[in-house]
Amino acid sequence: MIDKTKIHQFFNPFQQVSIAPLIIFRIIFGALILIGTTRFMLNGWVQKLYIEPTFFFPFLGFEWVKPLPGNWMFLPFVLLFVSALFFMFGLFYRIASVVLFMCFTYIELLDKTNYLNHYYFVSLVAFIMLFLPANRYCSLDAHLNLTTKQVLVSKWNIGILKFQLGIVYVFAGIAKLNSDWLFDANPLKIWLQAHHHLHFLGKFLQQEWLAFAFSWTGCVYDLFIVIFLFNKHTRPFAYSFVVLFHLVTWYLFPIGVFPWVMIFSTLIFFSPNFHERILQFITKEKMQTLSLKTLPTFNKKFVSYALILFVSFQILVPFRYLAYDGDLFWHEQGFRFSWRVMLMHKEGYGRFFVVDSKTKREMELPQQQFLTPIQLDQMLTQPDMILQYAQILYKEYNGKTFYVAGLPLKILKPEIQAEIYVTLNGRPSQLFVRKGKNLVTIKNDLNNRTWLEEFKK
Amino acid sequence: MKNIKSKTRNNMKNIIFGLLASALFMVTACNKDKNKDEFNKAALLQNFADNIIQPRYADFKTKIDSLETLFIAFQTNPSEENFESVKAQWKGCYLSFQRVKTFDFGPAMNTGFKSAIGTFPSDTVQISSNISVGSYNLATATNADAVGLAALDYLFYQTDAYLRITSVESYRQYCLDVIQKMKAETDAVVNAWTTFKSSFIASTGNESTSMFSMLVNDFCQDWEEAKAAKLGIPLGKYSLGIQRPEYIEARYSGYSLPILKASLSSIAEIYSGIGINGQDGVGFDDYLIALKKENLNTTIKDNFRVIDSNFYDFNTCLENELSQNPSSLENLFNAISQQVVFIKTDMTASFGILITYQDNDGD
Repeated sequence: MIDKTKIHQFFNPFQQVSIAPLIIFRIIFGALILIGTTRFMLNGWVQKLYIEPTFFFPFLGFEWVKPLPGNWMFLPFVLLFVSALFFMFGLFYRIASVVLFMCFTYIELLDKTNYLNHYYFVSLVAFIMLFLPANRYCSLDAHLNLTTKQVLVSKWNIGILKFQLGIVYVFAGIAKLNSDWLFDANPLKIWLQAHHHLHFLGKFLQQEWLAFAFSWTGCVYDLFIVIFLFNKHTRPFAYSFVVLFHLVTWYLFPIGVFPWVMIFSTLIFFSPNFHERILQFITKEKMQTLSLKTLPTFNKKFVSYALILFVSFQILVPFRYLAYDGDLFWHEQGFRFSWRVMLMHKEGYGRFFVVDSKTKREMELPQQQFLTPIQLDQMLTQPDMILQYAQILYKEYNGKTFYVAGLPLKILKPEIQAEIYVTLNGRPSQLFVRKGKNLVTIKNDLNNRTWLEEFKK
Repeated sequence: MKNIKSKTRNNMKNIIFGLLASALFMVTACNKDKNKDEFNKAALLQNFADNIIQPRYADFKTKIDSLETLFIAFQTNPSEENFESVKAQWKGCYLSFQRVKTFDFGPAMNTGFKSAIGTFPSDTVQISSNISVGSYNLATATNADAVGLAALDYLFYQTDAYLRITSVESYRQYCLDVIQKMKAETDAVVNAWTTFKSSFIASTGNESTSMFSMLVNDFCQDWEEAKAAKLGIPLGKYSLGIQRPEYIEARYSGYSLPILKASLSSIAEIYSGIGINGQDGVGFDDYLIALKKENLNTTIKDNFRVIDSNFYDFNTCLENELSQNPSSLENLFNAISQQVVFIKTDMTASFGILITYQDNDGD
C-alpha cells in the first residue's frame, strides 16, 4: 500500500539528507567548467568569438553588457578558469562561485551569436550553486576550518539540481513533439546522411528508417529518462542509456562538452550511498563518523518562496512561445532559453541594401564586411539579429559621403533593406525578409514579428 | 599540435564508436533492405580530383607554359604576328584560369595561387613605375596588384602597347617576369596536387575543415565572386547605382564578358561533375538526387542554362554594354544572384555541411 509519510517525506524540501551528492556535483561541475574553459581558450575561440568581431549582438535588455577591449577579453576566461579551480576544491567557495557565475554569464551575454542551450544550463546551475553549501564537506574550506563541516543538508539543495536537469530533458523532449522531428525525421535526416562516409555505420546513416529511429528514440528518451533515473531499480539501466545516448550525440554532432556535462551531471540522481562511497574513496574517512550538527540556514519560508519562484520561472519560460502567432521555428520569438536542442537545420542567404532616402539610390553591401562568418550565418536566420544588424549598418552608413566617379554623395538617414531566403529542415528555401521594408524603423522587441514573410509549411 | 590533438580525439571517438556501431550493426544486420539511393562523397571527390581538378590544372599549366614559349619567341623575333599569337595565348590562359580558380583549398590556398594570378583590376601606376625603375620584387605586397593575368591585360592591350613592348626592353622583361612568376606558381600547385590528391579524396566529413566542405564553400564563393567582382561592381550595384568601369576585369582587351561566361559555365560543369573530357561523372547533382531533391537539381540546372543564354544579349565588350545595354546586364546580375540562393542555401543545407568549427546545438 502507499505509505503516506513516505510520500510526504519525498516532497519535503527540508528533510535532512546526505550532503554527498551535492559535494560530488560541486567537484564534477567545477572540473567540467575548468576543462570547458581550457578547451575554449586552446581552440582560439576567445580570439575568434570575442576579440576579432567588430560588432556584437547583445540580448534584449542586456545591451549594456560590453566586451572588454582587445586582449582584456582573456581576463574573464582566466578568472573563470581560476574560480572553477577554487570552486572544484571548495576553497573560498562563496567568492569562487560568485566569480564563476559572473564571468560565465558575462561572456554568454556578450553575443547571442554564440548562444547555446548548454551554456544557458551552465549559467543556471552556477546561479543555483551560489546558494548551496557545497563546500561543507570534502573541501579546502572545511579542511582549513573556513567553514563548518556538515554531512546533512536540506533536501531541496539536491532536489533543485535534479529539477534543473530534469527540466532540460523533459523540455527537450516536449520540443521534439513537432511534425518535422517526428514525421520527417528532420533535421536528423540531413545531419545523419552527412556522415555516410563513416565505417560500419555510414551505410545506414543514409537510410531514412535510421533517422526516424534516432528521432523517435531521442524524443522518448528525453521525455521519460528522468522518471527512470528517479527510480532506484531502473536507474542503472537508465544511466547506461544516458551514457550511450550522449556518446552517440558526441560522436555525430559538434556539441562540444555538452554530452560530458550531461553524462556527469546526471550522476546527481544516484543514491546518497553511491556518492558517499566515492567521497570515502577520496577522503579516506567514513562520513557517518562526523558529528551531526544542524547549521543555521536560510529561513524556511524564504527558501520555499524562492524555490516556487524559480521553479515556476523555469517551467513558464519555455512555454512563452505560445503567446505568439505563426511558426516558432520560422519567427523564433520565444525560441531561446527553452531547451530546443538540435531541432532545426536553418540556413539563410541574404543581401543587405543601403537605400539613400533622398535620391532613392541603393547599393548592395558586400557580404561579410562587418560580421564574422559565424555571426553572418547566425544572423541571417534569426530575426532579432537581422534587426540588430540593420541598426549596425545604419550607424555605419548614416552621414557617410561617397565619392563615386568624382561625385560626392552624402547619405543621410538611409533605409536599410534586406532580401533574405531561408531553408528550414530540408524544405526548399523561402523568402524570409522581403526587400522594400526599412528594417531600421522596425523595433526589436517581444511583439509578434509580423515583418517577416509568412512561412509556408 | 592542435591537429594532432584533434586526430587522437577522433581516433578515440572512432574506437568508442566502433564498438557502438558494431552493436548497432548486429541489431540492424537482419534488416537487409538495400538502399538504391546510396551516395558516396568519396566517389564525388575521386571524380573531381581525377577528371576535373587535376586535368584543369594540367590544361592551365600547358597554356601558361606555351605562353612563356611564345613570349620568348616574340622577344627574339618581335613581330606583330608573334605579338598576336602571344595575346591569343594569353586569352586562352585567362579563360583556362576561370576553370581552376574555384579550387582555392589545399595547395592553391597554401601558395596564394588564386590571388597571385587572378587579382584585378591592376595597379597600372605601380606597373609603369616598376618598368621605369627597372628593379622590383614581384612577390611583395606592394606588387600584389601589379602581377598576374590582369597585369598582362594592361601591358598587352593599353594604347600603343605594341609600340611600347617593341621599343622598351624593360617593358618586355616585365612581361616575361610576370609570365614566369605565374608559371612557377602554377608548377608549385600542380606538383603539390600529386601528393595532396589522396588526402583530398579521403576528406569526406561534414566538418567545416573537410575538403568536401571546402569544395562546396569555394564553389559557392566563386559564383558569388563572379556575381560581385566581375559584374556587380562595374554595374554600380555596390556604389549607389553609379557604374564603375574602372573595375572591369580585362578592361583593356575587352574580354570581360567571355571571361565571366567561362567562370559561370565552369561552375555549372563542376556542379554536374562533368570532366574535362565532357564525361558526366559524380557531381553535386547526383548527391541532390540521392537526397531526393530532384526539384532543386532541376531548378539549379535550368538556372545555369538561362544564365548562359543571357550572354546572347551581348555583342560588344562589358564597357560598351554598361552604357548601351545596362538592362540586359541587370537581368544577368539578377539571374546570377538568384542562383546563389539555390546553391548556397538549399544545396549546401541539403548536404548538411557545417559552416563553423564551433560547438553548435542546432538552434
